[in-house]
Amino acid sequence: MTVPPLARAFLTTLTPRPQPLTPHAGRGSRSRPAPKRLSVLLLLAMAWGAVAAPAEPPSYRLDDYLAPVPATLKGQPALDVAQAKALWESGALFLDVLPHAPRPQGLAPDTVFIDKPHVSIKGAFWLPEVGRGELSAHTDTYFRQSLSALTAGDFSRKIVVFCKRDCWMSWNAARRAQVFGYRNILWFSDGIEGWRDAGLPTETIKPYGS
Amino acid sequence: MPNRRLLLQCALLLPVAAHAQTAPGEDTWVGLKPMFFEKPIDEAAGYVTLDAPVRAEDAALVPVQLKFPAREKGDRVVAATVIVDENPSPLVTTLRRGADAGAFDFALRLRVNSYSYVRVIAETESGALHMVKAYVKAAGGCSAPASKNPEEAKANIGKMRFRTFAGQGMAEAQAMIRHPNYSGMQMDQLTRMYTPAWYVTQVRVRQGENLLFSMENGISLSEDPTFRFSYLANGQPVRIEAKDSTGAEFGQTFAADGAAY
Repeated sequence: MTVPPLARAFLTTLTPRPQPLTPHAGRGSRSRPAPKRLSVLLLLAMAWGAVAAPAEPPSYRLDDYLAPVPATLKGQPALDVAQAKALWESGALFLDVLPHAPRPQGLAPDTVFIDKPHVSIKGAFWLPEVGRGELSAHTDTYFRQSLSALTAGDFSRKIVVFCKRDCWMSWNAARRAQVFGYRNILWFSDGIEGWRDAGLPTETIKPYGS
Repeated sequence: MPNRRLLLQCALLLPVAAHAQTAPGEDTWVGLKPMFFEKPIDEAAGYVTLDAPVRAEDAALVPVQLKFPAREKGDRVVAATVIVDENPSPLVTTLRRGADAGAFDFALRLRVNSYSYVRVIAETESGALHMVKAYVKAAGGCSAPASKNPEEAKANIGKMRFRTFAGQGMAEAQAMIRHPNYSGMQMDQLTRMYTPAWYVTQVRVRQGENLLFSMENGISLSEDPTFRFSYLANGQPVRIEAKDSTGAEFGQTFAADGAAY
């Protein structure tokens, strides 16, 4: 069963929250007021039967990465699957920016930790974490150096950035690559789901440089 | 509404295939089982039951209850292993019971990283293994930000609470150990790096000289590990001891009725 992403978000915001079975000690606040507003907006949008993509923010998205994304990157429409396929066939550089939690530091050596296989667009390079709203100095350097190596210093190289459908990390990473000076950044917002649903080639890849 | 945010954050780490899944399969478990168990496991009833939410409110704090009914000598459950199939570190805890092998209820809170079976494998005195499972829809529990800032967590580390529910007519008690229990998969909000794992690896709760239960834990147990369990006060003090992954040891003794000792 496939629930459209927007409906999913809608359901999630309205789902009644059952009380835990066991009484628990009080915990710190992790809550934010925004979703209530969002649910009202969604209600309105659904009532009109048409949902416009959110506008582009002035800067990077800082959290809630899995949510409806804009239709454009710096005013340029996101690629559809056919366009992405054409670029793939013509040898554009494909960058997957989904995050990846490696085996934690501090985990007892004999503890089982399973790094699940990461399925991506065939031939893509996986640069984890580079689509977060703010980067550590380490990740920032990793992104710059990876781009430089993968393009051989060619700032005009066509680069397609993607992650999952409705994932802001690809928007962030694409925007960031533009800020780094890359002039032909293309954003494939349908991501791996769009690619896979179209029956296009995939493969299991590891983080670039690992 | 922390829930939605957690769902979204954590869903990022989901394998893409989980989306289209309708009926949950056993593929993951088939791969996992030999990593933890050599003997065959059946699903015979009467050894343990598992109560878990179908959809969890907070993936980093999923309440799970195990109930061990009383059994004949020779066929009593002495240990139970709790596993979350889809967590990168699937083993939550191995619980061992004390010598008193009457009926025993035990509740804990765990992290669920993506839609997953939670399963309990009970081991009897004879070494036989019996399993129960429940499918839980929750995502992002391993990478969800800690609810307390690091300074606050550090200042209170190892503090404990013990309370009984005799006053509410329930032969139960609750033990809580303050500990950030970092999974190692949480992003530090300041450095933007993963916070190293730092978690309670062992717990032991005794009533006088008798062991009530002990646990050996992985990183999938929730922050501030809290357990609720069958308990009948008998005048003996209750001692809670814990050890964490850095080797630090914590302990506190309480009066039988839960008052500070």
